[in-house]
Order: sequence, then structure tokens, then C-alpha cells
Amino acid sequence: MSYLNATHLVFSGDFLSDVSTVNNDPAHYNNATFQPSFQEFGQGASNGWWNPEGGATFQFQNCTVKKVSLKNGQTLTEPAADIVIGKLIRGAEGRNTGKMVDLDPQEQGSSELWGVKFRLVSVNNETLLEGDIRPTGFRDLQTRQQTGGQVNGQPFGGTWTSVVENITWGPLAERSPFLAELKATTQQNRISINLNAYGYYYAHAADGRFSMGRILGTIAPWEEEEPDTFAACRRLYGIYVTKVNNGLPIIFFSNTNFAFDAARKSVSVDFGSSFPIADSMGGIVLKEKLYLAVSKVAVTDSFSTTPVTTNSNSVVIIGEVPYESGPDWLNNTGGIVTLNNINNEAAALLENHQLVLLRPSGLGQYTIIAREAINGVVVRCDNFVNRLDYNQTNQLHLYAYQWGQPMKNVALTVTLEKPTAITPVGPTNPICELPGNNYPANGISFNTTVKTDKYGRAVLPLTGNRIDNPRLYIDGQIYILDYQLDTQPQDPAMGPLANDNIFIHLRDYFEIPAEPQWSDIATTMTQFANLYPIMSKYLVNLADPVAMATKRDILKFAFSQNIHDPIYMPVTRDLSENKRLTILKWLENPVVATKQEKAGLILPGELLASPAEPDAAPTINQERLKNAVRAKNGAGFVPFNIDKIFND
Amino acid sequence: MLKINPQFIHRAKQASKLPELFPLFQNAIELEHSTIPPYLTAMFSFKPGTGDYIRTVIHSVVIEEMLHMTIAGNILNAIGGSPDINKKDFIPDYKCHLPMGIGGELEVGLERYSRELVHKVFMEIEEPEHPLELKSRAVETDTYKTIGEFYQALQEKLAELAPEHLPGDPAKQVTSSFFSKDLLYPILTKTDAIKAINIIVEQGEGTTTSPADFDGEIAHYYKFQELYKGRQLVKDPDAPHGYSFTGPEIPFNPADVWPIFPNTKANMVAPGTEERRRLDEFNGSYVSLLNGLHRTFNGHPGYLPATIGVMFDLRLAAEKLCGTAFPGKPGFNLGPSFEWVDVLQPAPVNKALV
Repeated sequence: MSYLNATHLVFSGDFLSDVSTVNNDPAHYNNATFQPSFQEFGQGASNGWWNPEGGATFQFQNCTVKKVSLKNGQTLTEPAADIVIGKLIRGAEGRNTGKMVDLDPQEQGSSELWGVKFRLVSVNNETLLEGDIRPTGFRDLQTRQQTGGQVNGQPFGGTWTSVVENITWGPLAERSPFLAELKATTQQNRISINLNAYGYYYAHAADGRFSMGRILGTIAPWEEEEPDTFAACRRLYGIYVTKVNNGLPIIFFSNTNFAFDAARKSVSVDFGSSFPIADSMGGIVLKEKLYLAVSKVAVTDSFSTTPVTTNSNSVVIIGEVPYESGPDWLNNTGGIVTLNNINNEAAALLENHQLVLLRPSGLGQYTIIAREAINGVVVRCDNFVNRLDYNQTNQLHLYAYQWGQPMKNVALTVTLEKPTAITPVGPTNPICELPGNNYPANGISFNTTVKTDKYGRAVLPLTGNRIDNPRLYIDGQIYILDYQLDTQPQDPAMGPLANDNIFIHLRDYFEIPAEPQWSDIATTMTQFANLYPIMSKYLVNLADPVAMATKRDILKFAFSQNIHDPIYMPVTRDLSENKRLTILKWLENPVVATKQEKAGLILPGELLASPAEPDAAPTINQERLKNAVRAKNGAGFVPFNIDKIFND
Repeated sequence: MLKINPQFIHRAKQASKLPELFPLFQNAIELEHSTIPPYLTAMFSFKPGTGDYIRTVIHSVVIEEMLHMTIAGNILNAIGGSPDINKKDFIPDYKCHLPMGIGGELEVGLERYSRELVHKVFMEIEEPEHPLELKSRAVETDTYKTIGEFYQALQEKLAELAPEHLPGDPAKQVTSSFFSKDLLYPILTKTDAIKAINIIVEQGEGTTTSPADFDGEIAHYYKFQELYKGRQLVKDPDAPHGYSFTGPEIPFNPADVWPIFPNTKANMVAPGTEERRRLDEFNGSYVSLLNGLHRTFNGHPGYLPATIGVMFDLRLAAEKLCGTAFPGKPGFNLGPSFEWVDVLQPAPVNKALV
């Protein structure tokens, strides 16, 4: 149950994510059609979007510990009860704080944290606990803000789940009952961490929060044989569509993790990822009663603008959700609601029946706001964001759970999403043709069926094969895999922005030249210079071999770091090993041809033709991905203000 | 000619045990650091893509100041002391006098680049005991104590007091592949320390017969002098001391420099604004850097590469600040303020109006 363990700590505060945005547009990767205006602030393909000079920095700011819960069920919120209350969460000190990067311009729906340090410290900077957050991409993108999306530029939130590794404990930790308990349960020197983020600012608003967001964090024990990047728990999916905004269903309570502890007869629900908030700061205006209940009958409806109802004969009420309207509840509790000592009937049913979130809609009548996954089945991939080189094999871990327990010896099927078409130049795509994805199909090899072990885990080896520049001006190709229980499709209610897929950036086949010339790396370096103006403007013009040669020592330093080091170049971590080594080799002997070479700037050839059928409709996952990217980038966001979440 | 409060030289000369030199080497670290923010501020004040030559010159001086700081730190570690870098009073409160009363009345601030700044401040800071007359300059003579004499006094006292094999833990010595092994090497013996002090003095002042040090590197004073004169200093066999300011012109257009507000302080900018946050983040990075360096010089020399990453963050943050209009000060931009911040005090939550 990872972060929903009875032993857990809640913190909240801000995060800063100074991502760069010129690279949000795939067409900007084309050196041949690149224009200086693409580096300027502004919406639209011919500009650089909302933060063209971003440096990809990610860091915690103003984060403090709000509360801890102990395994005996006690909740502590005062420093007198546990010194850890009020302590600070900070990132690295004396080295870069961490980075947030996309996998690829054509897969921006799972932005990852890299090289982020987690430090729990006193105001005097004494360490209580310190470790490294294992790289993880966000999931469960969903609508959060009822109002005020126009102030920050978008109304969505998402979740990073991971483990904090390489833990070291400071002497002060011994004085905290919570940390003592956490330390005693720590396995493999790791703890679990969940970060629910919302209220992220694309706008230079009057409150000064540009490129900041709010974060609700939890740390808890991590248990061996559990996944790293999602919680091994049960899930609620929102099925109540408040409205459809610009084609996107607005669903609150869309993706919610919960855990049921039969022995303790308790249910813990993480509303921190999904509770509707008034604005970008986490205040709540909702005032209606909400109930957690168990449904005696299976509920399989997907989300819809037509409310799904139930009645008191079909459910057993567990209890009311004890939330509070106002600015503080989410920020002080993280939105984690635990109902203890639940009635015996509900507890017995919960073993194998769905949890539901209800709103009274009449005498003995309820509207189902969210329901548990069909049959209580949750199938997810752990290492779902993959950077893959030629001849490299990644071992992917898929997990299947039912009612929170591992599903042993079940078959999971894995399929490649169908190819998408090349986007021609036109009014909505003014710069150049955009490549399609998921082809050539023989670029990757994987088993289409895998079986789970006693931990509910199946290992899926994924191998990269040779591809030769199918996207012409963007290295490699994006492949997206779907997975499911062979006997049950993925739940349709996972949400219109869900991204429970496997994302793969397979890099182009590339051999390291014996004596690299500038022309061997010119395309790549020019692209970096175009996409990351912060580098070329302030540090070194990466498109200029003479400037590169002048700064070769520092460039060698940056290009030879471990990928887990925040100063690793390229920051986006999207370069194949062989291309990176070629840059390093060129820097050893930076040969610049006497004649200024244009070679490499304009690529010969054309995009590899897509095998997509003409006018083929996108699959549900392709539609979700498109929605997620638009939502994540705040592109074409039509602001809304929702006074009433429930219309009926 | 830069004066130094003679008491510091006196203290060096009076020392009878190595530990009495600890605070003086700590002073040396603070002195070498104290010039870096003013130089960097001038360098960062150039708009992107301008002032290349000038930036390169200032950058080369800054790198050498970092080297000198590292050498002073290594010597302090070598003789058994501990550099103290992450504390509020390590940072000068610009505009201010330099540490140890150096420069007498000279005040050093954080200002945009100008030839006047180079002349009146940077050249003053770096002025040798006996500047060479390279074409136009008259030799001044006086009897003030100088930085060079301070280091000379430390050198003499080390020679007198220190054992040949220095008592400090060799594992604390900081080296870096970014510096040649001739310039930055572990200080293990008295001879190492004495030689290293020569590097500091020569890079700053040149030798008594040439504007270059023994490695042919032009000393700071003359590097700045070429910026002031607007002509590159080149080898000239016909000129006295073998150099003259007869090289290519060093163009400088004042419009290339952002109008940063001199000695910007964070408290000049209203809390809760994006501008203030950016300034606070810059200072947060700076303090993080000092914390990282403190760690580096106190038993974790392998941490140095990590701090280099922070230096780049700092630079990016500073350049962005310099391009940002100063709220409430029309015609001015923000400057990097290089201030200690209590980074650990979280900002009050700007509660939503709900």
C-alpha cells in the first residue's frame, strides 16, 4: 500500500518547475524551418510558448511537514508531539536541485523528475532524512480547479509517485517518533513518496507565482516487491462529468488512490490527487456532503454527463468524507482521509466489492461520483517511461492487483498502439510536416503476453532494434504500448487524460565515427541551440563549433555526467549513448572545417511514410494522449468557472 | 595603491604557532571571495551576445580568484584549520570596504560594467605594489602595506613555523581538472604552500619586471587596464617591460549593458512579486553554493563538481535578473544582490481568497 500505509507523513508547500517550452512543439525540432521567433515568448506554433528561456529546474519551495500518522492510528499535528511537524522539505544543497523533462516532443504526457534530492531538515538546516527521488513520470493528470484556471493558465493537476533511495538519517531523526517508526520499517534503504501537484502557473500573474505550483506530499514505508512509481493500492475513478469544456469532459474526483486495511477495518483515501479546489492555492468551496460506501452490486459505468445513481439498498455507507471548506484542509491534511473502525458489513464487503463515492440526491438516493475500478482490478506498468537505444533491452515490470491483492499467475497482454499519420502542413500546423508515431513496427521487440508471479508482477523485456531516422528531424521514434489483463480491458473510466501506457523513445541507430567532424554533430547541436535558448543566449552557442571548442572543458564536463546527476547534458536526456559519445569525442579534438559547414542543418530525405490508414480515427489512448498534452501545455485552454460541480 | 590594515600583517608576523595563522588564512579566503560578486555583476550586466572580449577578460580574472580562494582554503586545511564559508558574515554587504581594511577608503559595490568602474574600482583592487609603467602610467611610490605584503608575511611565517610535512589531512585537499596541476595541487608540504602563495600574488599583480606571471599569463591589474584603455595589451619588444597597449581595439558600447540598479538588495523589491522571487531564488542558489563549497572544503573535496553546476544556475539566474525591469525604479533593471538569505524560513502561504 506504499504511501497509504498507516505510518505516513504529510507535507505541503510549493514547487518550482522552470521547464523550457520551445521544445513543446515538434515542428521546432526541424532545423530547416526554424525561425528566431520560435524562441520568443508567446502562444502559437510560430512562438516559443510560455517559458522559452526555461532551464528545466525542479525544486521544492516552502514545503513543511503538516502531520504524521503512526501505525497505532495516532495522528500528530504539533511539534510538541513529534519534532518532525513543521520541519522543512528541501531539495539539494550545494548542487543543482533537480530537473523536470519530457520524454519527447511527441510524448509530453509523462514529464519526469530527474536528479531530485529530498531533504527533510530543521530550520537550522540539520538533516533528519535525506535521499534521492528515483526518476518518475507524472500520471493521473486530471482537472482540479473549479475556478481561476485563467489566472495560472490551466486547471489541471498530476501525480508523481516514486521511492526515495539512498536514505541517510540525521541524528535528529531519533527524536521523532514518526521517523523512528519509519526507519524501523525501511527496506533496501528506500521509502515511498507521493507528490500530488496542482495549481501550476504558466501565466506571469500578479501573485508572482509564475512557473510555481502547489504540492501535497506524502512519505511512508516502501515494501519489497512493491512497484516504485505507483502505489500498490486500489483506485477510484470519477464518472460524474460536470461539463464538457472545449471537447474535454471535466471530471472531478477522477483518479483517486485508496487502501483498505481489513485487519484494522480502516479505509484511507488520497483525495489529494483529485479533490476539486477553488483556485490555484488549494482552497475548497465545495460544501456538499459526500459519503464513502461499498456497493453491493457491480458498477461498470464509464464517465458520462448522465449521472449514475444508486440507492440505499445497493450500498453500505461507510461514513461521511470529513473534508472542510476553506483554504486549509487540503494543505494541512494532504487530502488523505482515513475512516477507522468501519462497520462490519462494510468491512466484509470491501474485501471484494467496489468502494464508491456518493452524494445524496434524494431520500435513500445517491449519485455515484466515483467508483472503484471494475472488479477491483488495477494493472499498471512500473517503469513506464523508457529511453531505449539500439540493441538495448529494458526489463519492464507490470503489476496486476485485484481488491488490493497481487493477482498471481494471470496473463497480461501487451499491444503496440496503431501507427498515427503524418500531419500535413496546414492552418493548424503551419511550419512543417509532423511525423507520425508507432512505426516502423519492427523497431521494438516485446512479448505480447506475459504472466504474473506471486507478487502480481510480470517482467516484460523490451528491446530496441535498428531504426534509421523515421522522423527525419527528430531523433528516433515514439512507441506507445497498451497493456491489460487478458480477460478484462483497462477500465474506461480511467479518465479522459489518463496515461496508463508504456511510453518508449527509441533512438536512431547511430555509429560513432572514428574521427568525428562537426558535420557529424551539427544537426544535433543546432537543434539544442534552437530549442534551449537559455544555453545559447547565456552560456555557449551550441550551434557554433568555434564557441563549442572554446568551452570544451565545461562541455565535456556536462556531457560526461551520470544521467542521474542534475547537471547531465543534454538536460532532456533524449540523446542516444552513441550520439552523446560522439559529441564527447568531437570535443576531444574539435575539428572545425575551414569552410563553414552547412551540412547537417538541412537534412536530406523525408519523413518515413506512415502506415496509418487514411482518415483512421485515433484510438482512445491516442485521444487521451492528445488531450493530456494539450492540458499539460495549457494549449488552447478555454477557461471555465464552475460554481456547482454537481448539476443535478 | 591598495592599503591593507597593517594589523593583519602584524598579526602574521607576531604568530608563534601555526593555529595563529588560521584566522589569517580564513581572511585570505574571504578576501579572494569578496571580489568575485563585484566582477561577476559587471560581467552579467552585459546583454546577451555583447561584450564578448570584455566578458572573457573578467571571466578569466574571476576564475583565478576562485583558484586563489581554493589555494587559500587548501593551505588552511593543510596547516590544520577549517575553512568557514557558509555563514552570513562571509558575504560582504555591498557596497562596502573589502575585508581586512583593504583599499582604505575604497568602496566596492555591485554595479553594471563601465570603464569608470574598471578604472576606479577593479584596477584599484588589483593594483600591484609597484605598477609597471606600460607606456603612459607614472610609477607611484609609497609605504603602505599591500595585499602582496600580507601574503608575503604569511609565506614567511609558514616558512618559519610550519614543519616540512604539513599536519592537515591530505584527504581534505581540493583539486579540479579545470585547473592545471601546476596551479592547483594538493598542499602537503611547506614548499607546496609557499609556491602556491606565489601563484596567488603573481596572478594578481604580475612580477616586478613584467605584467605577466612566470607562466606568461597577464596579471589582473593589467587585464583590467586594457579594458580601461580600450586596447589589448600585446607583446611589444620595443616597449618597456615588453608589452604595450597597442593591440586591437576593445570595443565597448555602454548601450550593451543593462541599466542594473547599483547594489540591488532583495528588500528593495516587494515580497510576493515574481521579481522578488527571482531575486530570492538567485540568493538561494548563492547560499546553496556557499554551503556546497563549505562541504567541499571540509572533508568532501569530491563534491566540487556538484558545486560547479550551481555556479551555472547562479549565472543563468543572474543574467535573467539583469534583463528584468526593477519594479518601482523606472529606467533600472534588477541586479544580482549576492545576499545571505535564511533559505530555511518558508515564505508565508499566500492563502487563496475563498
